[in-house]
Amino acid sequence: MIFKQFRYEPLNQASYLIGCARAKECFIVDPIDDLGVDFYIMEAADLNQTIVGVLETHLHADYVSCARELAEANDCPHYVFESAPATYYFTPLEDGQVLQVGEVKVKAIHTPGHTPEHTCYLVTDGARTDEPWAVLTGDSLFVGDVGRPDLLVGDQALDVMGEEERAQTQFRSIKEKLFTLPDHVEVFPNHYGGSACGGVNMSGKASSTIWFERNFNLAMAQPDAEAFGKFVKETAKPLPDNYGRIKSFNLGLIEKEEIAEAGV
Amino acid sequence: MTPEDVLRAQQEGAAVLDLRTPKRFAGEHLEGAINLQFNRADLVDRAEMVLPADLPLVVHGEPEAIGKMAAKLLQEGGFEVLGHLEGGLKGWKEAGYATVTMPTIDVDTLHDNLADWAVVDSRDGFEFRYGRVPGSSLLSWTEAWEQAEDFEDPGKPVAVICGDEVRSSLVASILARLGHEPALVVGGMVDWIERDYEQDKG
Repeated sequence: MIFKQFRYEPLNQASYLIGCARAKECFIVDPIDDLGVDFYIMEAADLNQTIVGVLETHLHADYVSCARELAEANDCPHYVFESAPATYYFTPLEDGQVLQVGEVKVKAIHTPGHTPEHTCYLVTDGARTDEPWAVLTGDSLFVGDVGRPDLLVGDQALDVMGEEERAQTQFRSIKEKLFTLPDHVEVFPNHYGGSACGGVNMSGKASSTIWFERNFNLAMAQPDAEAFGKFVKETAKPLPDNYGRIKSFNLGLIEKEEIAEAGV
Repeated sequence: MTPEDVLRAQQEGAAVLDLRTPKRFAGEHLEGAINLQFNRADLVDRAEMVLPADLPLVVHGEPEAIGKMAAKLLQEGGFEVLGHLEGGLKGWKEAGYATVTMPTIDVDTLHDNLADWAVVDSRDGFEFRYGRVPGSSLLSWTEAWEQAEDFEDPGKPVAVICGDEVRSSLVASILARLGHEPALVVGGMVDWIERDYEQDKG
């Protein structure tokens, strides 16, 4: 297996390449436009990998995605969970669906909360074992913290779930679908450190394990979903810059040129 | 360069350097193209080891960003790069031009029918001596451009092998350019060794 984390430090954002060294094919997960389409193409080529799929954990509100363009440039599918309210064409994923490159499997685990369509990707390297090795947790479980539930665009048809419901769903998704994974599974989030998508307790370390977070994640240490919601609200950072317009672009509602506003 | 420009350049002696992976190359490519898989780290070094310095090149990368990057790197490395194929294979075919394929064979089929094949090993000499397909001959990738001119038709189909497919596809493409019809061994010596098939050594 080839596994590479790309960190875009100005936004504390992490995207990923997951590939099979033998098959020489890979997926890119959560690519960011600030690095750009060509960045991912070159990184994959340098690893002798061909990009055969672009996956997103969810439609992002804090950074501009280049998943659509990257998939188009590589003439490959752009995968998002089936319920995503995007206005453009994408390849819908179902809960439990498995994508494969060579001996490497990526299983979609629907984890609504941060957004209703949010999906984690469980990674297994069949060349080593059938035990899962890592989980890309997007904006659900962070290292030390969780994804915030309050990044709404203000359009009910698109937001689907309100802030309270998102918080409670986030708690349940992490508890029931992520914390039930084996202890050893490594956690790779979409954000770390100072990112505005998490709260003040988010670690600068950009990876962890299920065991560590199950034991030491402060937000998830709350006794119930209600206390969790309260805790997340109290420990939230200021809202990310321009998130409404960024989200609108990622939903396909506006063009890239229309995003720029107040220095983004 | 448009497909028309590329075709004209080919007719005037330029070589198309296909930067895609061997599997995609085998599936479909421009006739006469040389397959040298792209990466930024050593593309120019490998090109220098294989190609004559005065061979004008047209690069074909997909996505096109790869073609543009390769053109830049090769030019900086002293090669004469006329341009990159705009629109890739899709554009080429839309312009009405033909493509060709390269046959492939997996190691199991090769192993079970070894007597029917002339196996050409495209790796470096030390790898060849360390262990190879029984009866295979060496046409090392770094020597292939010169030595391919003297390559004699062995009277049976040729299968080109390396560790995986990168160097074998390069050498097979050089042979194909000269009118031979080699097949590419998919999986290479890695698969051969994994299956514990017999090897000649020394």
